[in-house]
Amino acid sequence: MLNILIVGNGQCGNRILDAINKEAFGKKSRFAKFYSQQKYKSNVQTIAINTAVNDLREMKFTKAKDRVHIPHLHGVGANRNVGKHVFEDNKTHIMRKIEERGDFDVCFVITSASGGTGSSFTPMIIQELKEKYDFPVYALVVLPFREEGTLYLQNAAFCLRDMRESGVDGIILADNQFLKQMGGNVESAYNGINDMIARRLLFLLDALDSEMMMVTDLGDFKTVMSGGAGIATIGFYEAETDIPVRTAIQKALSPSGLLFSSNVHEEASRAMIIIRGDRERLSIDEISTEVENLSSAVGHVFKGIIVRNGELPQVLAVLTLESASELETLYSIAVDAIKHEREKKERVASEKEVDRAFSKIDGMDPSY
Amino acid sequence: MAIIKRFLIIFLCVVSFSLAFAGTVSAASVLYNDTIEMGNGYQINNYVIDVTDVFVDANSVSFYVYHRDKEVKDILISRGDSFEFDIDDGGKVKVILNSVVGSVIPRASVSIVLTDYDFRDLHKNELVQGGHRSATFAGTPELKIIKSVDEESINVGDIVRVRVTVENVGDDRATEVLFNEPQQPRFILYDTLVSDPGKTTMDIGESKTPFVYELKATDEGTFELAPTTATFTNDAGQRFPQAASNSPTIIVGPSESLVSADLEFITTFDKHTVSRNERITGTMLIKNEGTAPATGVTVNIIVPDGMRFEGGSGVEQISGVPTIYQETFGIQQQREFSFVLRPTEVGTYTVSTQHSYSFDNGVDQDLQQVSSDDVSRNIRVTEGKYDYLFEQPLYVYLIPLLIIGAVIGWIYYRHKQYKF
Ligand SMILES: Nc1nc2c(ncn2[C@@H]2O[C@H](COP(=O)(O)OP(=O)(O)OP(=O)(O)O)[C@@H](O)[C@H]2O)c(=O)[nH]1
Ligand SMILES: [Mg+2]
Repeated sequence: MLNILIVGNGQCGNRILDAINKEAFGKKSRFAKFYSQQKYKSNVQTIAINTAVNDLREMKFTKAKDRVHIPHLHGVGANRNVGKHVFEDNKTHIMRKIEERGDFDVCFVITSASGGTGSSFTPMIIQELKEKYDFPVYALVVLPFREEGTLYLQNAAFCLRDMRESGVDGIILADNQFLKQMGGNVESAYNGINDMIARRLLFLLDALDSEMMMVTDLGDFKTVMSGGAGIATIGFYEAETDIPVRTAIQKALSPSGLLFSSNVHEEASRAMIIIRGDRERLSIDEISTEVENLSSAVGHVFKGIIVRNGELPQVLAVLTLESASELETLYSIAVDAIKHEREKKERVASEKEVDRAFSKIDGMDPSY
Repeated sequence: MAIIKRFLIIFLCVVSFSLAFAGTVSAASVLYNDTIEMGNGYQINNYVIDVTDVFVDANSVSFYVYHRDKEVKDILISRGDSFEFDIDDGGKVKVILNSVVGSVIPRASVSIVLTDYDFRDLHKNELVQGGHRSATFAGTPELKIIKSVDEESINVGDIVRVRVTVENVGDDRATEVLFNEPQQPRFILYDTLVSDPGKTTMDIGESKTPFVYELKATDEGTFELAPTTATFTNDAGQRFPQAASNSPTIIVGPSESLVSADLEFITTFDKHTVSRNERITGTMLIKNEGTAPATGVTVNIIVPDGMRFEGGSGVEQISGVPTIYQETFGIQQQREFSFVLRPTEVGTYTVSTQHSYSFDNGVDQDLQQVSSDDVSRNIRVTEGKYDYLFEQPLYVYLIPLLIIGAVIGWIYYRHKQYKF
């Protein structure tokens, strides 16, 4: 049995963590926590960290003791510099909270790249963890909608850089932009995205701790994640009707199955495919054909098969990327954004137009 | 010697006894033996002997004798002579002129002797300065008391008004007048309109009404009212025999006005078969069918064991007994009271009621008491719908309760666990 630590930072990290805890109850009811038990196969410990107490309060499925409030007004207002300061000031406290949870085999840290708290705390936590412990640490990073504003894009760019420098064992990307197709209002779109991420992560954790026909385990996962540019994403498909397993694999690797937009066949460097379902439905031939198809393009593909009687085929693919054109696009937009922000700041600083307006009445008195 | 001595003592006793208690004193007695100045007089009861003129030179005196203001005798006598006159009750007065004394105001020295008179009647016996004009006389007041009734023939229960008037028809003021009005058997004093004036006085000719009251006849028959009496004295303080009134006769016929309250108590229940713990409503209807209002109407509802009184309108628990109480209950009045009972045990029950009231029959002095009781029809109490629930052993309740408790505990625990 694996010991797994999941940390969720900032509002986005907290909410995804809560979605994971909810998903673990299996039931969809918000009262599930009163009559159901979480179905983690492994020993999973979750910790939510935030500067905004309201974000922590809104969590429903995460135990109170798992929520760590770092008092600093209401968040750090998307300012990563402030966020870093606050982390430094509370470092020992935060790290003790993690330490209290015991020893782990693997750790996932979830955050948005663009906020203040999560995006600044996460690289620093990872750095601390890597210094202190041996277990691999993976970051699950949510990228902002492109139109969310220049500050967010700027934060995302710097956050990802800090993340790479933190010594993280791999970054799994999820892109709000790409997942926008969810539709509905922002709240339900977020919830939809969070549930998707949660389901994938749980599937992965479940797989890593399961008996599989073809061996894939934590070691394999590590190998996959260490490939490429250290950037990865997850593809997933869960059949709703009785479809051939081949189709399910294709759907998992298609843009609609991926958390981050990428052309798998061109950009992926290593992959791991986990297939779950009823023995009758998992045609070895089909699976082999598809896996071969993929490995001919990307290189090594680990595959695991989990037999669950009565279940329709479900496919999870973890893919590390050699290159990410989408990320490059994001960075180029981010560069523009950074320039734009700087220019604006300079302009305001030099001109102080409002002040000039006021200076026009210097030395005058009102006459009535 | 001794025998003679004893005889003498007995003899002396007898003599003194007869002297002390003899009704009239036939022997003469000297009332006065001294001088009287001219212009003064000597009064014996209502008679005054005035010394009108003293003629010193002629050794003679002129006497005038008055009975009250009326002259009865005038006489001029010389020294050594005497004259006599009669006073009331056969008494004789003899005046002897002993001498004439000359001085600034001349005086006559006289002896006045009274004979044949009962001395107990001698209320006045003295000198009067100024003669008869200054004398005060005592008379005989006479009280005439009349008792009258406004009706002489009545029926039992009727009221008769009695009036007592008194008039002083004597010749003197009556003082210390005290009336005595005896109680009248067979009647009750219904109302007093004018009450005993207490000790009073009555001038000559004066009338008074010392009593006016009303009597209510309680028995049939012909009755004489007992007379009113009065004691009194005259101005001189003399007592007189008490005066008494007449005794009017009243004929009392059989009653025409006897009335009575007649209350009917009717208890009904809304159902006679109930299941346990179900409520039944009883109604107590009270009607006065009589000719007099009732007072102190009391109904006790005797709730049997196995039933419980749950409340009611106008029904109060008095020392544990549901009670209806009405101070008065008018003629033809009718009222309904309801009460709720709850049977707690299966069985057949009756509810009894005890009623009592009183009324004034218009004749008797005391109120008439009436009491009765009543028992309701049977009320059958059967097993309640959910009664079997209570007959289950304890664990039947305990286990669900424990489960519910555990669930609540668990939910609370979880809530605490997730409450941030
Ligand atoms: N997928 C997803 N994205 C979210 C969610 N909540 C916020 N985000 C994204 O996260 C970014 C904002 O970061 P937050 O996590 O809210 O910021 P934070 O870490 O709390 O930092 P501060 O609020 O600035 O202190 C935006 O790009 C949002 O689109 C969520 O529930 N799901
Ligand atoms: Mg926030």
